[in-house]
Amino acid sequence: MSTALAKPPAAAPTWRSEIGYLAGRYPLGVAGAIILLVFVFAALFAGTIAPLDPFSTNPAARLAPPSDAHLFGADAMGRDLLSRMIHGARISLAVALGATILGSGFGTAVGLASGYVGGWFDLIVQRVTEIMQALPLLVMALVITVSLGPSLTNTIIAIAIPLIPSVARVIRSNVLSLRELPFVEAARAVGMGEFRIAVAHVLPNTLAPLIVLATAQLGSTILTEASLSFLGLGVPEPYPSWGRMLSESAAEYVHTAPWLVIFPGAAISLLVFGTNLLGDALRDMLDPRQRD
Amino acid sequence: MSSAGRLAVTCLFLSVLAGAAHAQKQGGVLRVTHRDNPPSASIHEEATISTIMPFMSVFNNLVIFDPDSQQNLLDRIVPELATKWAWSEDGRTLTFTLRDGVKWHDGKPFSSADVKCTWDMLTGKSEAKLRKNPRKPWYFNVREITTNGANEVAFHLADPEPSLLTMLAAGFSPVYPCHVSAAQMRTHPIGTGPFRFVELKQNESMRVVRNPDYWKPGKPYLDGIEFSIIPTRSTAILAFVAGKFDLTFTGELPPELVKDVQSQAPQAICVTQPTNTQGNLLINRDKPPFDDARIRKAMMLAIDRKAFSDIISRGIDKIGGAMMPPPEGQWGMSPEFLQTVAGYGADIEKNREQGRAIMRELGYGPDKPLAIKVSTRNIPDYRDPAVILIDHLKNVYIQGELEPIDTSVWYARMARKDYTVGMNVQGVGVDDPDVVLFETYSCGSERNYTGYCNADLEKLFHKQSMMTDYEQRRQIVWQIDKALQEDGARPVIYHGQAGTCWQPYVKGIRLAVNTIYNHWRFEDVWLDR
Amino acid sequence: MAAYIVQRLLLMVLTLFGVSVAIFVLLRIVPGNIADILFDSAGLIDPADKAKIISDLGLDRSIPVQYVQWINGLFHGDLGYSYVSEKPVLEEIAPRIPITARLAGLALFFSVIVGVPLGVISAVRQNTWLDYVLRVVSLSGLSLPAFWLGLLILMAFVHWFGTIPIYDRVPDSIWQELELFAVPAAAVGFRSSALIMRLTRSSMLEVLRQDYVRTARSKGMSERSVTFDHALRNALLPVITTIGIETAILFGGLIVTETVFNIPGVARFLVEAIRWRDYPMVQNLVMFIAVVVVTVNLIVDLLYMLVDPRIRYSE
Repeated sequence: MSTALAKPPAAAPTWRSEIGYLAGRYPLGVAGAIILLVFVFAALFAGTIAPLDPFSTNPAARLAPPSDAHLFGADAMGRDLLSRMIHGARISLAVALGATILGSGFGTAVGLASGYVGGWFDLIVQRVTEIMQALPLLVMALVITVSLGPSLTNTIIAIAIPLIPSVARVIRSNVLSLRELPFVEAARAVGMGEFRIAVAHVLPNTLAPLIVLATAQLGSTILTEASLSFLGLGVPEPYPSWGRMLSESAAEYVHTAPWLVIFPGAAISLLVFGTNLLGDALRDMLDPRQRD
Repeated sequence: MSSAGRLAVTCLFLSVLAGAAHAQKQGGVLRVTHRDNPPSASIHEEATISTIMPFMSVFNNLVIFDPDSQQNLLDRIVPELATKWAWSEDGRTLTFTLRDGVKWHDGKPFSSADVKCTWDMLTGKSEAKLRKNPRKPWYFNVREITTNGANEVAFHLADPEPSLLTMLAAGFSPVYPCHVSAAQMRTHPIGTGPFRFVELKQNESMRVVRNPDYWKPGKPYLDGIEFSIIPTRSTAILAFVAGKFDLTFTGELPPELVKDVQSQAPQAICVTQPTNTQGNLLINRDKPPFDDARIRKAMMLAIDRKAFSDIISRGIDKIGGAMMPPPEGQWGMSPEFLQTVAGYGADIEKNREQGRAIMRELGYGPDKPLAIKVSTRNIPDYRDPAVILIDHLKNVYIQGELEPIDTSVWYARMARKDYTVGMNVQGVGVDDPDVVLFETYSCGSERNYTGYCNADLEKLFHKQSMMTDYEQRRQIVWQIDKALQEDGARPVIYHGQAGTCWQPYVKGIRLAVNTIYNHWRFEDVWLDR
Repeated sequence: MAAYIVQRLLLMVLTLFGVSVAIFVLLRIVPGNIADILFDSAGLIDPADKAKIISDLGLDRSIPVQYVQWINGLFHGDLGYSYVSEKPVLEEIAPRIPITARLAGLALFFSVIVGVPLGVISAVRQNTWLDYVLRVVSLSGLSLPAFWLGLLILMAFVHWFGTIPIYDRVPDSIWQELELFAVPAAAVGFRSSALIMRLTRSSMLEVLRQDYVRTARSKGMSERSVTFDHALRNALLPVITTIGIETAILFGGLIVTETVFNIPGVARFLVEAIRWRDYPMVQNLVMFIAVVVVTVNLIVDLLYMLVDPRIRYSE
């Protein structure tokens, strides 16, 4: 697949200046990228960074407030909150990336096909996306989660499905305008197959809006997982999900052990905030029509 | 509690009561927090405190546990709709004489026919059917109910069973009217009790109002009771502390929240007591390798019951066997006797070493652990102990993986025996061996999820059931309980305890120590403000 | 225009039909049903009693038959009975709708009166520190989980005022209602206000750059009247769209907010009904939500067409 976006660095020393330029031009975006990287780092090396075993219970540390031994305190079973949160980053990122990739992937395939093929296929796809958009995202995710039963994979699927229609719509409208452009005609003239034209020429040109959309969805999937967990339907134990950690502590200890509510909530917010900052900057960079 | 001590406490209680007797104030609405949406208002169809606490006040029983007694006891049962009762010589017939002039809330007179109707329905003999009948197992011994005129009714038993009276005195045993359908009892129950049902708004609230024609003159004192459903415990507590409620839902507050209430509202009265629930381990003895008694034993040796109690409730949960531990419970094994039961020894490390030795013998070891799934309901009250269990099983080379099961399919899975190891939290309605033993441990009983079946032991179940002497009966119950625990029938890990709080101006709430189910008639409660 | 409306209405019916089939089928593949749950507290399942419950509720009939019965009932104004309360579904849902509607209305009201002015300020002061602060605040509005914000507010209230703003009585005056709903509405409206602010800002910026604004400026109109007379009026269009999009998203926020603040509205009720596998309740509630969303979208589109004559809808 051609790299329509990334300009290959001309020479080795310039990447520093490139970053410097980006940081100057999009300071908020760089801040977002850094926040995101920190969480990714925590998720990747959770086993090494986490000070304690996130699953090991300890009667003596039950509801311990933040201290040197437990930097963020301990939960009702005496498990170290910081360690659980570091491992929880894996869950949040797994759900966010999994659902976004799944949803965007399907959405792109559907949007590309319906925009390019057109006709009755397009008509059906249009109606189906309308049906899916007639329900609030959380309501749909709720019903699907319950249908599939509690598990990490099912949560990802339940969050991914409601993302499909919005991606499909954006891709479709892009494809519709791209289809009429001369380069498609040119490809056809040299005898290229329709499928190849769609995948090799049309698809790469929809990448910019797709990346903008996907980044925006990254944040919303994290929030959806948190909301589902809050309602008792998200990623189940033994996975340390931030949303569930916070909602179950809130049910019991919002007043007696507020750190159990504050820290996981702050982690969710910060991660979503980071993806939103990055998403804004990417939009400014890649989608000139929406540039401020 | 010794009987002398019991007497002293009762006397104290009575004198306090006598001093206050003339001071009750009439009027006011009691506001109570409620933990969740009750499945229906029909006590006979449900087995949850969510239905009992708001609706027990709508009904009366034939007999009831003496509210002046701090402990529910067989010899402290007092008349309610029955004025007196008598056992036949052979102990197989229990005859009640009924109160005159009692009326249902719809004005129809109460009679012996209503009693017969109710228990015919519960024993499955009548045409009129309950949609669900969770306490059918209580009455396996009841052959027939007969009436003699409007004021006399007799229970005929296959075998003598003194505990029948205990079951009839429980909050779960109201008398239902013959002329009201089971379906209406679920949505708009009619009783003879001190309060009349007004409404049940799903997920919102429940309301009852004073029955002005109550057969106890002058009672109840309250104009009505309102229950507001607040599923989040911390929210309910914050609202209680802010003075929006007079009484919290019973048996819901873990020690931290009781402490929180007492620090923010020092004048509030809080009582912590057994919640009639026990956490226990289900091992499917039909599924290899758990058909091997040695593995089951190794698992029991891995469990540190004290750590469970310390984590789940800061150590207030009690350790015991199938029966509620003393001093609250009447039938539980004494702490000294408990030490003689395998797996209850104080030296956990020694137990675990024994457990590891067993596992090594069977070919398992640190490099070759036994991988199992630990199934449990996907709600915190079940999941938390399951997480601890998995942590403890690691000590005997068992690598557990949690399998959270949606509430909606949990009992279906248990009934199909579609699990290998499960963490279960079980409610026990009445502190009585007949209620616990037959339901949970007899061969073929529907609540016997582990399929445990021991014919010799079951003979002892029947033997104790017919006994009238408390001390002798208790000795047999201890022997049974010890055998059940050592056999790994359903290893009991902890007995839950939790708190109930009320504002100081709420008077006349008297809680028995060995139940949360049987003292919510609310007819003696009044507001001093 | 008339033809367009007719076409849209027909599509709306088609969409609602699709939603009804989807929710109906989804619910029936859910593991566990009401009969299992009814036995939950009993700790045992009596197979005979369970079979009777299933046949009484008509759950033993084939899915197409059940579906036809439901839709047939809908057309006759019969929504069926709740499995749990055994009361008519309408009787259960109807009193809860105004509660959620008021909460949603108040939240939208908050978000517009906060979001639009801040968006304008941010655009007019583009790339100043004020703009940056407002943009970061609005982004954080999109980043905070609604239930967490609600919890923080609850904690703050208890800490500083010793009271708790939860729904504990039926309000009997407009002031009591405001008192009960203001805090949850602010919690759930924060997100919408952030979105409206962002959209107002970017459309303002676009309009400010356009020719007729330049012309107005060059004619010597004051900066203030350029901003308010020309730019703002045009910039309001996307705000209308946002409100359309937000009705769907807002509902998601309401589910968790009603849970946190213990408000007996339809949103929280939906979650409870799903938990109980109360099919008649869930399917009718979901249809109700779909009708609201689709209708609001239609109204928004029509409004858009009326307000902005440049837009022509092609068939």
